[in-house]
Amino acid sequence: MAIISQIQGTGLGLKRELIPQIQSLYGQEKLANINFVEIAPENWISAGSKAAKQLDWFVERYPVVCHGLCLSLGGPSPLNIDFLKQVKAFLHQYQIPVYTEHLSYCTDGFKGEQGYLYDLLPIPFTEEAVHYVAQRIRQTQDILGQRIGVENASFYVAAPISEMSEIDFINAVITEADCLLHLDINNIYVNSVNFGFDPHVFLRGIPGERIIYSHMAGHYRQTPNLLVDTHGENVIDPVWALLEDAYRLFGDFPTLLERDNNIPPLTVLMQEINKIADYQDKAGHRFTAFHQAPEQMTG
Amino acid sequence: MAELPGFQRYQLAFTARLRDPQNQPPLAGVPDERMAVYEEIVFNNLFESVSACFPVARKVLGKRRWLKLNQAFMRDYSANSPLFRKIPEQFLEFLQMAELELQQQLPPYFTSLCHYEWIELSIASAEASDIKEGKPAGDLGNSRPVFAPAMQLLDYEYAVHKISARHKPKQQESTQLLVFRNADDHVKFIELNAVTYRLISLLQNSPITGIQALTLLAKELQHPRPESIIEFGLSILEDLRSQGVIIGTHD
Repeated sequence: MAIISQIQGTGLGLKRELIPQIQSLYGQEKLANINFVEIAPENWISAGSKAAKQLDWFVERYPVVCHGLCLSLGGPSPLNIDFLKQVKAFLHQYQIPVYTEHLSYCTDGFKGEQGYLYDLLPIPFTEEAVHYVAQRIRQTQDILGQRIGVENASFYVAAPISEMSEIDFINAVITEADCLLHLDINNIYVNSVNFGFDPHVFLRGIPGERIIYSHMAGHYRQTPNLLVDTHGENVIDPVWALLEDAYRLFGDFPTLLERDNNIPPLTVLMQEINKIADYQDKAGHRFTAFHQAPEQMTG
Repeated sequence: MAELPGFQRYQLAFTARLRDPQNQPPLAGVPDERMAVYEEIVFNNLFESVSACFPVARKVLGKRRWLKLNQAFMRDYSANSPLFRKIPEQFLEFLQMAELELQQQLPPYFTSLCHYEWIELSIASAEASDIKEGKPAGDLGNSRPVFAPAMQLLDYEYAVHKISARHKPKQQESTQLLVFRNADDHVKFIELNAVTYRLISLLQNSPITGIQALTLLAKELQHPRPESIIEFGLSILEDLRSQGVIIGTHD
């Protein structure tokens, strides 16, 4: 059971493959920097008794956060209210204080159904899209009775109809929805290469006070100017530099390592998590309204 | 589509292309190389989820036909569950609802085979029912047997459990199976004869004791010596208990 102020320091995205290793090394110094873990509700909701037992084990030992994949905040189909209510019950059941989603879409409303495509697709950055997405975030927050965080997504296609830059889109949506930001450092870098902008300038446009936590990850370099966000490689130096810069700008916000493919042993992943912790130690301390006053956020 | 905002018209053109890259036009002003990234990752995600659940069906159909079937799934089916785990179930529904034209291109046993492959995943993640264990060593004849919390009887027209790339059934063969999740959360299959299948369905469908169910069964079979059915049936129930299908009894 956790409250939002316990989401601190460094964390790990929980993959099924890693569970036995975490359980066997639990309590040892090696894992000291796993301060919280992240799960995708889509993978754990009604997943059967074995998964429920595993989740009980984690909830008793770690603060857990939920990072969703399929809410489709930018999708043309109606918001899936039944699913959102399942998420709400799930958050309540396991006392999970944080839910974040992507600033993207994964449905197309095909044949009058949701039409899930199960991937993160790019929303065109238009004025109409800002209002549409912000309204759906507000609707989500109303149903859940809590603020959510939205993550800056990685993408590979820039919509020719876009009317503004990504950073302006993010800011407009977050301000209008009055939600939190789930900052993905690697995604900033991936997009900066894919679309040719300076990631450090982008970072300076981020509303730092709204960061709930951040992601670090590796990516795949398909060509020199096309990076694919696979979470299957080590974090590269320019992304570390970006994290360092972000801590310098905004203080040591909580940060979690994502590794979804090509997963090395846990002790190897810990090297990257420990490195994040080192960067945090060097950075200034950060205080935000929601980290100081958790009771207002957990509802 | 005219009344939709511009960004949504763009999104729908985008996803139409993802669903059917061979027939839908490319988007104006979008480099092919970039669009190809989405075309590949979206299809591959789906393809891998489906393929992982249906290893036998995949081999039976062969690489090329399996790929084409999955492309049709991507193109024609509107998935309605946000849970990745439900992708195979939706593939099964796609097969069950498929147009006759597609059905006729598939082997007659194909949908049954896919159901059999999917049910393992389904039972593995099924919510446990609230049934209390009862008495683990209780009398199966004079009290009500309690079954494993995730369990299902299966009745197929083909011997689906024997199908492989080398063994494709040439004719129908009525097949009854039982699938259940044991106390260690492992999914097990048991092949049943028709009598055991009927006995279990009688016990599942009404709150009766082992002997009551066997008495009904003897009547259905018009057996001249019901007591031999009861004696034989009780040994079957004991055997099911030793395998973890029956986990106890209720009074």
